[in-house]
Amino acid sequence: MKLLLLEDDADTRDHVAKVLRAAGHVIDTCSNGPDAIFLGTSNSYGVLILDRMVPGVDGLSVLKALRSAGVLTPAIFLTAMDNVDDRVEGLETGADDYLVKPFAGSELLARVAALGRRPPIQDAVTRLSVADLEVDLLKRTVTRAGRRIDLQQQEYKLLEYLIRHAGEIVTRTMLLENVWSFHFDPGTNLIESHMSRLRAKVDRGFDRDLIHTVRNAGYRLDAET
Amino acid sequence: MRKLSLLRSGAFRFAILIAAIFAIGTGVLLVEVERSVGRYATEVASDSVAAELAVLQGEDRTAGRGDLIRSITLREQAVREHQIRYLLVDNQAHRLAGSIPAAAARVGSYDLVLPAIDHGDEGDGAAVSLMTVGVRLNDGAILVVGSDTSDLKDLRRALGLSTIEFGIGISLLALIGGLVVGTIFLRRLDRVNRAVERIMQGSLSERLPAIGMSPEFDGLSTNLNLMLDRIESLMAGLRQVSTDIAHDLRTPLTRLRQRLEDMKAGLSGAEPVTEEQVEAAIAETDSILAIFRALLRISSLEAGAGKQRFGEVDLSEILNRVFRAYLPVAEDTHHTLSADIASDVTVQGDAELLTQAITNLTENALVHTPPGSHICLSVSRAMSGVVVAVADNGPGIPATERDKVLQRFYRLDESRHTQGAGLGLALVSAIASLHGGQLLLSDNCPGLRVEMTFGG
Repeated sequence: MKLLLLEDDADTRDHVAKVLRAAGHVIDTCSNGPDAIFLGTSNSYGVLILDRMVPGVDGLSVLKALRSAGVLTPAIFLTAMDNVDDRVEGLETGADDYLVKPFAGSELLARVAALGRRPPIQDAVTRLSVADLEVDLLKRTVTRAGRRIDLQQQEYKLLEYLIRHAGEIVTRTMLLENVWSFHFDPGTNLIESHMSRLRAKVDRGFDRDLIHTVRNAGYRLDAET
Repeated sequence: MRKLSLLRSGAFRFAILIAAIFAIGTGVLLVEVERSVGRYATEVASDSVAAELAVLQGEDRTAGRGDLIRSITLREQAVREHQIRYLLVDNQAHRLAGSIPAAAARVGSYDLVLPAIDHGDEGDGAAVSLMTVGVRLNDGAILVVGSDTSDLKDLRRALGLSTIEFGIGISLLALIGGLVVGTIFLRRLDRVNRAVERIMQGSLSERLPAIGMSPEFDGLSTNLNLMLDRIESLMAGLRQVSTDIAHDLRTPLTRLRQRLEDMKAGLSGAEPVTEEQVEAAIAETDSILAIFRALLRISSLEAGAGKQRFGEVDLSEILNRVFRAYLPVAEDTHHTLSADIASDVTVQGDAELLTQAITNLTENALVHTPPGSHICLSVSRAMSGVVVAVADNGPGIPATERDKVLQRFYRLDESRHTQGAGLGLALVSAIASLHGGQLLLSDNCPGLRVEMTFGG
């Protein structure tokens, strides 16, 4: 995917670009707002990665300018400001995601991948399936190999998020934010506890596992191992 | 800057302003009085002239010209100090009687200044001002009666003089009064000013004396003192954070440094660097960053950040969400988790922060009680407002330690081996006070009961 990275700190810029390139992305980098606006309007990108705090025209203004110029590319803010207010302000400006510095490379990759394949599944889609696992989004029922699986509400929400992002890595923070609306790290093994229950129901007793743990990154629901 | 000079002081300017206002006021008043008096005197004079003319005209008509001339001559001699003077000329402009020069024989009203005339009884021989009115008699002769206005002029001059004298006197009084009041005020202000300087130089616990003079001024110094209290507590908070960071981040930073040194030795030594070592170093860094994040969040909450986004928050929904999220966690750690959640309990606040607070309390209970303990989450409406409680039947916290655990980085000896930096309760406490609520720790007999109360 072709990405635009706005970041004023050279070390961070090089590091982030390296991480993204290693994952197979093509990166245009810039270090100031006007360049970002120029690149953003004259090229077509999959995802915009914007540092909020850059000298001169800041990331927020860059995104405002791009949005008013009709650029609807998904955007993710990188920021050192960890306040509820700042996040809400960023999302209100038209950002699609928000990542607080410092962050793990795997976290950024997962989020960029999730944003890059937008627009996500249309609402009209009512059934999703991976291999022999099927989720009926309307009836909220799950079957595997034709057998009905009973899930608790939380387990169902977790599975629904995983299957909507089937084949992609989802990180712990993405799950916390999207399944439980926790915008902070609770510290204990919240995700692991839920995930082990979900696995017990979805994977145990079947010929192969569909939910995979990706080391140092998160989880992936996939027919492939 | 130290000593305010009197002339440049506000007191002096104040006095000058007051004096100027008084001077202008007095001037206007006296000028107006002088004018009214003058107008009145002029009216009296012209009335008497008109009366005199009427009488003489009547005499001329009824008794004849000879009697008129005699009458005028008599009157000229009778009127003392020549208050009123006369002139009668025939139609050839020859003077027939009276002491006004024949040249003044004109019909109508005129002001006339006569050069000094020797009257015998008016020794100084000063010029005389007359207000004359002339009428034509039926045979063409002209009769003129003049009233001496010199007295009127004297009166006006005297009034003018007293206007100036009074004006100056009153202005001086106002100036002195203003200076006295101003100086007293200035002294008191100077006392306050000196107190401010001492505070700026570091005697932070000093407070401003009352300014006095009026309740408004005392209100000002009371408010300034309240502001100083707030500044002092904020500064204490800041100092606390710096000390905390210095003390409590040193340990994990030291550990990180040791790990990096081990790895460096491993690069050249016998034991190669393992992925575990690198991961441990990254984890150590992450935990340091998490501490920073929590500290920054606590201090921004204590400074009141986030209040502008407050809205209606459904506490029942949050409690349910946290309860469901932690049910499997509690099962895995062999705790029992129950909930007693009243429906539709709402408060004004920030949903995200309240979720974090309730999550933190639940985490605390799970981490600090032994397996087999019971934990109960509840929200209820009470007389005083809304109460969110997380209660357990674990070891509890001794009464003497309950205040301290709300402080940053404070950890009970028994919990030193558990994870965490001792910031959880400090954060919850900050979130509670941001919402105008309170965090209360009490004995659950046995165990600990943590209550967040929000005013109704």
